[in-house]
Amino acid sequence: MIDNTDPVVRTGRREALIVVSIWLTAAIWSVTTSYWLGYNRPVEELKLIWGFPEWTFWGVAVPWVVCVIISWIFGALFVHDAHLGEELPEEADELGLGG
Amino acid sequence: MMNLPPDLLAAADTSKMPNVGYGALIALVVFIFASLWIGALANRKTREGSFMTGFFLGNRGLGAWALALTATVQSGGTFMGFPSLVYTHGWIVALWIGGYIVVPITGFGILGKRLAQLSRRTEAITVPDLFRSRFGSPALGLVASLFILLYLSFMMFAQFKAGAIVMKTAWPGSGVLSVNEDQKPFALSEKDLAALKEDQVSGAVVEKLAPLIGHGFSTEREMTAQLKSLLSAEEYTETKDRIVKRSKQLDRLYLYGLAIFSLTVVAYTLMGGFLAAVWTDMFQSVLMFFGVMVLLFASLHQAGGLDNATRTALKNTGPGYVYGPGYDDKFEGPKAAPNAKTAPRMAYDAAVPREFLPLSLALSFFCVWVWSGVGSPASLVRLMASQNTQVIRRSIYLLSVYNLGIYLPLIVICICGRALIPELPGQTDEIVPRMALLATADWPGGSLIAGMILAAPFGAVMSTVSSYLVVLSSGLVRDIYQRFIRPQATPGELRKAAYLSMIFVGAVAVAVNISPVAYLQAFIVFSATGSAATFLIPAIMACYWRRATVAGALAGMIGGASTVLSLYLLGILEKTPEQRIGQLTSFRPYYLCEVDPFVWGVLVSGLCSVLVSLLTTPPDQKLVSKMFDKETAA
Repeated sequence: MIDNTDPVVRTGRREALIVVSIWLTAAIWSVTTSYWLGYNRPVEELKLIWGFPEWTFWGVAVPWVVCVIISWIFGALFVHDAHLGEELPEEADELGLGG
Repeated sequence: MMNLPPDLLAAADTSKMPNVGYGALIALVVFIFASLWIGALANRKTREGSFMTGFFLGNRGLGAWALALTATVQSGGTFMGFPSLVYTHGWIVALWIGGYIVVPITGFGILGKRLAQLSRRTEAITVPDLFRSRFGSPALGLVASLFILLYLSFMMFAQFKAGAIVMKTAWPGSGVLSVNEDQKPFALSEKDLAALKEDQVSGAVVEKLAPLIGHGFSTEREMTAQLKSLLSAEEYTETKDRIVKRSKQLDRLYLYGLAIFSLTVVAYTLMGGFLAAVWTDMFQSVLMFFGVMVLLFASLHQAGGLDNATRTALKNTGPGYVYGPGYDDKFEGPKAAPNAKTAPRMAYDAAVPREFLPLSLALSFFCVWVWSGVGSPASLVRLMASQNTQVIRRSIYLLSVYNLGIYLPLIVICICGRALIPELPGQTDEIVPRMALLATADWPGGSLIAGMILAAPFGAVMSTVSSYLVVLSSGLVRDIYQRFIRPQATPGELRKAAYLSMIFVGAVAVAVNISPVAYLQAFIVFSATGSAATFLIPAIMACYWRRATVAGALAGMIGGASTVLSLYLLGILEKTPEQRIGQLTSFRPYYLCEVDPFVWGVLVSGLCSVLVSLLTTPPDQKLVSKMFDKETAA
C-alpha cells in the first residue's frame, strides 16, 4: 500500500513532537532548578543575581531567554511551509459531510 | 525610597486615596471611540468575501500580528489578577507563570498548521463545525457547540460585569483604582460606612464594621455570617438589612457603566465581527506593551534598581517573598502578628499559612498555561483563521518576544511595588494602577498616562467580550440555526440572524448582571480551564490520529469536562478536607493529590478518547482519507 499521507500531516506531527519535547525539557529544567535553589532555604543565604533571587534567575529568567532563542530557531529551521488548501466558495458548501 | 519627593510619598501612603481626576475617564472615552472606529474599519474588510467566513472568520486572513497577540494571550481578567498575585506572594509567581516561556511555540507549533489545513478541507467556520465535518457526525458537532455555548456564556457574563465596574471606577473620585474578575458582589467601602452613619446606623456599629473594609463576600450568607460574629444580636437584627443593602455593589453608576459598556461592545462587534474583535484585542495588547515598558523603567528608577527593590520588599514582608512556596501575608513577616489578630477571619481563611505554590502545583501550572492555551476554543478558532504557514511562523517569533517583554517586567514592577508600597490591605489588585500614579506623578501629562494604564483592563475586557460574542453568535447561527433550523438560509437571513443573536446575547448578559446569581463566579472559574480540558484531546485526535472515532471524541469531551467539573464542585461545596495550597479565592477546586483539576481533566479525557476509539469500529476510510491524504486533483 502506498502511503499517501498529506505532507502537512507528516510535518505537522513531527513539529508537534519536537514542541512537546521542548515543553517537557523546559518544565523539568525550570521546576527542578527552582525547587533545588529556591525552596526551604534560609533567608541569610539569599543570593541575588541582577536583583533576581538566584533561583528565579536560573530557573525562570535564563530559560525564558533561552526559549525565545529556541522559538526563533524552531520557527526558522523546523516549521515547513506548506500550502494549506483552498476553500470552496460558500455556495458550494452543502453543510459539510454527513449533513 | 527615602529621598522621594513629598508628593510621591503622599501618593504612596495607602491610607490616602490617590486621585486620577479625569485622566482615566478621558482614556476610557478614547478607548470607546477607538474601538468603534476599528469596528467600522473591520466592517469594510469583512464585506470583501462571503458573509459567513467574512464576519465570523475574517476571510481566513489573519496576519502574524493579529494571530500572535490575540490567540494565546489570556483574558483581560488574568492580566488584572496576575500583578496582585506577584505583589502578594512574591518572586514565586515567576515560577507559577513559568509555563509561558514555551507558550509561543506550543500555542502555534502543536496544532497550528494542521488545524488551519483541516478547517479549509472541512470548510469549517466554527470549532463544532470542524468536529462535525472531520468526524462526519452532526451529533458530535451539536455536543461541541452546546459545550462552547455553555462555557462561553458564563465567561462572558463575568466580563460584562468587570467592564461595568471599570466604567464605574473611572468616574473621578470613585476612590477605587482597579477591578478583579473575582470581584465579590458584597463589599463595604469607607464611603459605604459614612453613608451608613447618615442612614442612622449607630457609630458603635459602624466602628465594628471597620475591619470589613476591603473584604469582599461572594454570597449574602457569607456576609451575614460575618456580621453576626462582629455585632451583638440586637445590633445585628436592627441593622443587618441596611448594611447588606449598602454593601451590594450595584448602584446607579454601575448600571450606567453596564449600559455604556454593553452598547459599545455590541455595536462594534456587530459592525466588524471577528475582525473587529481581533483588531481591538491587538490594539490593546500593543498599548499594554508600551504601558508596561514605561512603567518598568519608572519603577526600577523609583525603587533604586531591582537588587534594592528585592531586598526592601523582603524587609517589608518575610522570607517567603524570595523563596518557594511563596509568601503568605497573614501569617508571616514583621506585620503578621497584629494583622492576623485584627483581620476578620473569613470562612475560607485558614489559621495556618497557605502554601501558594508547592512542588505539585508548580508542575501543574506548567501544564495548565501551556495546554489550556492550546485547547481553548477561542485559540482554536484563531488558528483556523490564520492566513498561511508563514503567518504561523512569524507569530511564534512575535509572541515569544512579546511574552518575555510583558510578564517578566510585570513581575519586576510588582516587586518594586512591594518595596515602594509596603502594604495594600485588601486592595492588592490596585498595585499596577498605584504604581502608575506613583511613577507618573511628576511627569507632564502624568495623569493621562496613569489614566491610560488604569483604563487598560477596560480595553482587555472589551476585546475579550467581543471575541466571546463572535464565538457565541457563530455557534448560534452556524451550528444551530443553519445546521438544524434553516439549512437553506440565504446570506441575508444569516446576516440578520447573526445580528439578532449578538443583540440577544448582549441583552441576556445585561439582564444577568443586573441581578447577579450567586455561585455564577464558581462556574466562571471552572469554565476557563474546563473548556480547554474538554477540547484539547479531541482537537489533537482530530488533527493527527486516523483511528480516532466519533465515540472516542465524544468520550474525550465528556470525560474531560466532567472530571474538571466534579473536582471544582467537590472544592466549592467543601466536601473535601481543607487544603492549604494555591490561591486564596472563594471558589477553589479540590486539588486531588495536590494537582490542579485541569491536569486530571486532560488525563481522563485522553484515556477515555483513546480507549473508546479503539473499542469502537474504525472510522470510514473514505472520510479519513479525505482529511489526511494528499488532495487528488478534482
